[in-house]
Amino acid sequence: MKNFRLLFTMAALSLSLALPSGSALAAPPDAQSILAASDAVRNPDFPFGLTTTLIEYRNGKQTDSSTLAVYSKADTQNGQFRNLIRFVAPARDANKLMLKNGNDLWFYDPANKASIRISPQQRLLGQAANGDVVTVNLAKDYQASLLAEEETQDGERQTKQSYKLALAAITPDVTYHHIELWIDRSNNHPIKARYYTESARLLKTAYFRHYQKQLGQERPTETVIIDGLDPQWVTVLRLSDYAKREVPDAWLQRDYLSRFKPD
Amino acid sequence: MRTFFLGLALATSSALAQGSDDLDALQLADQAQIPVASASDWHSFVEVALGQAATPHGPTLAGQRLSFDLQFDQRFAPEWRAVFSDRLDLNRQQQPGQASVDKDVNTIRDAYLSWQPQAHQLLDAGRINVPYGAASGYNPSDYFRDYAVRSAVSVDPSSLKKNRMGSVMLRGQQLWDSGSLTALYSPQLAQQANAGSYHPDLGATNAQDRWLIAYSQKLPSSMAGQLTPQWLLQGGAHTHPQIGMNLSALLNDASVAYLEYSGGRSGSMLSQALQGKDDTVFRNRLASGITYTAANKLSLTLEYEYNGSALDDQAWDALRKGIKQGAPLPYLQYRQWQQNQQELATRQEVFVYASWPDALLQHLDLSAMQKLNLADHSRLYWLEARYHLEKLDLALQWQRNSGEASSAYGAALQKYSWQAQLRVYF
Repeated sequence: MKNFRLLFTMAALSLSLALPSGSALAAPPDAQSILAASDAVRNPDFPFGLTTTLIEYRNGKQTDSSTLAVYSKADTQNGQFRNLIRFVAPARDANKLMLKNGNDLWFYDPANKASIRISPQQRLLGQAANGDVVTVNLAKDYQASLLAEEETQDGERQTKQSYKLALAAITPDVTYHHIELWIDRSNNHPIKARYYTESARLLKTAYFRHYQKQLGQERPTETVIIDGLDPQWVTVLRLSDYAKREVPDAWLQRDYLSRFKPD
Repeated sequence: MRTFFLGLALATSSALAQGSDDLDALQLADQAQIPVASASDWHSFVEVALGQAATPHGPTLAGQRLSFDLQFDQRFAPEWRAVFSDRLDLNRQQQPGQASVDKDVNTIRDAYLSWQPQAHQLLDAGRINVPYGAASGYNPSDYFRDYAVRSAVSVDPSSLKKNRMGSVMLRGQQLWDSGSLTALYSPQLAQQANAGSYHPDLGATNAQDRWLIAYSQKLPSSMAGQLTPQWLLQGGAHTHPQIGMNLSALLNDASVAYLEYSGGRSGSMLSQALQGKDDTVFRNRLASGITYTAANKLSLTLEYEYNGSALDDQAWDALRKGIKQGAPLPYLQYRQWQQNQQELATRQEVFVYASWPDALLQHLDLSAMQKLNLADHSRLYWLEARYHLEKLDLALQWQRNSGEASSAYGAALQKYSWQAQLRVYF
């Protein structure tokens, strides 16, 4: 009987320790749902366009800049975004195009009118990978797991309560093998991310910041990318001119690239 | 235990350093001046070039060139678009002790109107440059390339594709979500080419009636990823229809493979060049290669090229021997015809191309090319270093033709040449 009482007391004690009290009684949200909610903050759920301006710094000095017009539309079959990117500046690259549908990448040069298939490793920009400037639904390409709930500093140097997620690639079409992503617990805003190679080498860190109301809700209008090997190599991506833009599916193919002429 | 604390200390210091780096970067980004750039319908540049060329046994030639390059593309009504693209090369060449020779060449690349009555339908009319082909060095399915180059400012294949005249044609295209169908008709408008500096030279591009149909359809996803072969059917007056095909596939994250094919009944190049007896049979031409890109952005392309209508090794030797036997005319006619058609001189060649953006230092692009003729082992080497600033390009090009005097590349008038270029974009 004594043993039974002891057992009962221990069971009650362990239960009381295992169950959090008050509002925390609700089960923590599913990591994949947090990731999907964070995707929805970055990406409208309709076809849209925006302007991305990239400025590159090395050792504190600006070394490069370019401007791109990005048109994004979700594929009805897999939910992932297809992107058409038009180079606006510098002048030597003006009107060149890149079409990205997963790993299906095409580059078009209006000078020689050639549409060339390129590999994901064939980067067209400086530090930014082709995957950095396009719209991506991470929840379609990565399996998320909750690593921690912790305080972290955001891009405005404010301390935020965040979910720290580990993202593992589940499709071969991804730019990064695995990612650590911090998401604001209060509103699912992505705060920052660290991108890694298969061998766990840090490729880059990105801060998503300057949230403004765009296309109906608060979205980041700037991403600051810091190189993993050389932290003095910094790229600022400024996102502007968000607009709802319908792009017919038939335009998102190689044979239309020479025809693409937005208003 | 000591090791544990040492590890902990290292991890902590690394995290602190990372945090400090992040703060520095964010501070830098706070001060970023974001330039405002908007898309333009105009794209133009001026280029100045100075160079020298060494002939096999003769004097060194000095050359200067001033070029104006203009591209205009405007949607002037919701369904209408006007495209105009032109290049003017003002060339001057000098031999030691002789007066300079001027040669100005204007090339109208595009001048057409495009009408898009619906999102999926387009109709174009005018002078249009239509370069087909998936390969890099040799494009057997690029059916509108013959006689199109008026002024070759570089042997770089992409320069030759760019700086050439379009053909006058009527072109229609129907699109659907996974493919498209294009049909074009290019009529005969003149019979003789005209090398006049500012002549539109329709005799070069529209010397005969021609037509082409292109069909693309994406295949269901496979192990090779997304595949969209492009099928071509081309024909015209006095020629047999030719079938063409272009296909490229992603092998892995860093490699793309491609195949370009053209086949059909035709006479040999020799019989066409010399207007000899009809030897029409089914002949194949193809180019296939792989482009690999390293993590440091260096891209390497290796391409095999085959032309079933060109001379084989024995016939090539025989044609070259004719020069020594006092009958150079067949050789000269064959070479002239082959160059105008942008064809291979003999059956097989190997093409290697390397390009390295931001090589060694940022904004410095290095390119290198080698063409190797497998019949006589003559070679063409070409190197370019291009440094670009915001609106300026500085380039240095070097070229060498090696091989015996009458070989595919050794026969070139210039053994060595170099050229320095300054390009200003507007």
